[in-house]
Amino acid sequence: MPSNVLSTLTSTPLFAVGLTLAAYLLGSLLFKRLRNPSWLPAILIAALLLAAALVAIGLPYATYYQGATWLTILLGPATVALGMPLYQQLPRIRELWQPLALCLPIAAALAACYALGIAWVMGASPAILASLAAKSVTAPIAIGITEQLGGNIALLMGALLVTGVVTIPLVSVVARLLTITDERLIGFALGLNGHAIGTVRAFEISPTAGAFASLGMSLTGIFTALLLPLAWRLISPGG
Amino acid sequence: MPALNGLLWLIGYWLIGEVVIHFSGLPFSSGVVGMLLLCATLAVLGRVPSSLAAAAQPLIALLAMLIMPGVVGVFFILDELAGQWFAILSALLLGTLLSVITTLWLLQRLIGRSDAQ
Repeated sequence: MPSNVLSTLTSTPLFAVGLTLAAYLLGSLLFKRLRNPSWLPAILIAALLLAAALVAIGLPYATYYQGATWLTILLGPATVALGMPLYQQLPRIRELWQPLALCLPIAAALAACYALGIAWVMGASPAILASLAAKSVTAPIAIGITEQLGGNIALLMGALLVTGVVTIPLVSVVARLLTITDERLIGFALGLNGHAIGTVRAFEISPTAGAFASLGMSLTGIFTALLLPLAWRLISPGG
Repeated sequence: MPALNGLLWLIGYWLIGEVVIHFSGLPFSSGVVGMLLLCATLAVLGRVPSSLAAAAQPLIALLAMLIMPGVVGVFFILDELAGQWFAILSALLLGTLLSVITTLWLLQRLIGRSDAQ
């Protein structure tokens, strides 16, 4: 594409917004055509398409991201909107509050600690640790956490994708080994560890599994969002 | 326009979140504070107003698209992270395996047992 046309188009944020919409819709379409593969989420297809388009057009990522701010600004109200499904799940939380109150803090804290411990032992830099810490938290909340910790949002997104995708087979294998068949437990584990990607998978198992997955996802998000930045401030050297 | 009404509520709660963080100095994100305040408000109301649902539902459905500009960034930092990939992938894969085992084992002990009683 001639560079003067490109600079005209990219001078408006609508180009980045249009590109994102097109990649998202095309990604969702391809995902359906491929019969909803759980190892290849629609968002990954769309992201690959978008990355390929940026490279093909020669549009620098930073320029694209600046224009796409018109979309990402909506993440704020969209995160607030998650308060609605959370309210709708309150009856389920009340029903099982005792075991959940015990399990959730331990499991959600360990989800972050295991990954951080392994990365730290293997010599990952502090910036990478800050980007991996929220790996089991649903993206809109995880972005806020990672900004607080000073991590890299792009790396966080990659970490979320990998975590979500591997959680699905891991939960099914471990559940089989522990002879767990209760869909509530499987759903909760999918949402707690695999955030939105695991929750989508849980809804494919059954509505009950899906409801418990979204419960696990929202509680993990809240717990991590409230405690991780505080813990980080206490632990991190010079932070 | 009920959806606009609902959107104003969502933006208002987000802004309240900003104010809370500004004055408390706590390291939370305003979205999370707004979400908890919204949930508390709904619990007091005892229902979800239709205008709020009209704005919240489409926004939640669009979440995947809203995070795409960030997701794409990972393909453009591959070079920067060269040499760290093994540590990153081990942390994610092994860390997730361990946390899945812990979660399921804990749930089995806690919920499985309370059901058996």
